[in-house]
Amino acid sequence: MLKEELLIVEDLWKFIDGKPVLKGITFDVSRGETKVILGPSGAGKSTLLRCINLLVVPDRGRIIFDGEDVLKRRDIHNVRSKMGFVFQHFNLFSHMTALENVMLGLVKVKKMPKHEAEKKAKEALMAVGIAEELWNRYPAQLSGGQQQRVAIARALAMEPKLILFDEPTSALDPELIWEVLNVMERLAKAKMTMIVVTHEIGFAMRVASEVMFLDDGMILERGPPEQVILNPCNERVKRFMDRMKYVYSLDTG
Amino acid sequence: MINELLYVSSKYGLLLLEGLRTTFIITIASYAIGFAGGLCIAIARVFFHKILKVFAGVYVELFRGTPMLVQLFFVYYALPEIGIRVDPVTASIIAIGLNSAAYQAEYIRSALSSIPYSEIEAAYSLGLTKLNILIYIMLPQAIRIAIPTLTNEAIYLFKYSSIAYFVTASELMYVGKLIATRTFLYVEVYVLLALLYILFSIVLSEIARYIEGKLQIPGYVT
Repeated sequence: MLKEELLIVEDLWKFIDGKPVLKGITFDVSRGETKVILGPSGAGKSTLLRCINLLVVPDRGRIIFDGEDVLKRRDIHNVRSKMGFVFQHFNLFSHMTALENVMLGLVKVKKMPKHEAEKKAKEALMAVGIAEELWNRYPAQLSGGQQQRVAIARALAMEPKLILFDEPTSALDPELIWEVLNVMERLAKAKMTMIVVTHEIGFAMRVASEVMFLDDGMILERGPPEQVILNPCNERVKRFMDRMKYVYSLDTG
Repeated sequence: MINELLYVSSKYGLLLLEGLRTTFIITIASYAIGFAGGLCIAIARVFFHKILKVFAGVYVELFRGTPMLVQLFFVYYALPEIGIRVDPVTASIIAIGLNSAAYQAEYIRSALSSIPYSEIEAAYSLGLTKLNILIYIMLPQAIRIAIPTLTNEAIYLFKYSSIAYFVTASELMYVGKLIATRTFLYVEVYVLLALLYILFSIVLSEIARYIEGKLQIPGYVT
């Protein structure tokens, strides 16, 4: 039987230019869980995600991923290949087609033969609703929503145990946001383990198993979405959520 | 004028072509050295640790900061002092190639550093190693970005290979000078040389334009 926690983050600290950006973050993520992180800009949300797959190296703390201490691993690229990352600005490789973007990791990291990688990549693209006529387009020829879905396919094709989403819809207009959230919701239903940094509280309400509110490098409040979003205890969280509800005109009765 | 031009071309055409051939050899060989060297230096400057970075930086400053002619004389006259004797053409290729490496390094380096870090971060997140990121993400884009400046460098080398004249390499300029002194038709000969240089410079830039078009990423506007 696999241990239930896929990821354990313990007392994580990160200093940038001498200032603490993360101040002792502790939480864990169970297999199949969707964790949503809310919070204002500059709270450290992106830094936290980047610390988890060591795109940013934390200064103190422990990260246990799938039973292994990530910070002690010398072959960090192997750990990263098991964690997908979806970026706010998609970050597709601009000189490669949609298909090539998805295939690169399979061929170069997973050492899959080309034809097999191609098959796998096409499946991943289909799964996020990117139809065949778009496979050979370059990122600049795709809409934002399409680019983000290709980016999700790129992460998905690697068969990661965990996918980290860093504000995946913040650079999209509302219709395209729907496209992307829809794909993510399906992933959540299929029990993909995900950590999602987002401002989409509607998505959090529907999908999150737990919501964490991050501000100033600390978790101010955590719990089920109904609590953190609708009835937060913390004053700071309450103020933030009131404004969110105003922006999104969410009627709380 | 026209008559003299025709006279020179018919009487010395073959000699001129031979000179042109040597000019091409010097240009292509030194460009190849320059590109290979430039690529290595640029990668070292962008990508590797301190010692290599410093070494690459010193190289660039040294070869950019001294005249190419001085470098050529150094290779041709100073190296024999320590027992390395090279013929004029080889000396020119080495000197111009080493010089060009410094410039090409800078062109490639600026192209490498213009690639958005976001793409590199994405590549890391997939689990790619540094080397793979360099090969599959950075270089293919950097070379595309650098093509116009690298073309400039090729045209520049084509023309400045004429300094090989000073160490008696029998390239176009040297041959021209020879014909001019023999026929006393200085103006006509140099006009002819200029025409040849212009013609092939245009050919070079057209080839580059073709390559650039071929490598263009659809929909991508820089």
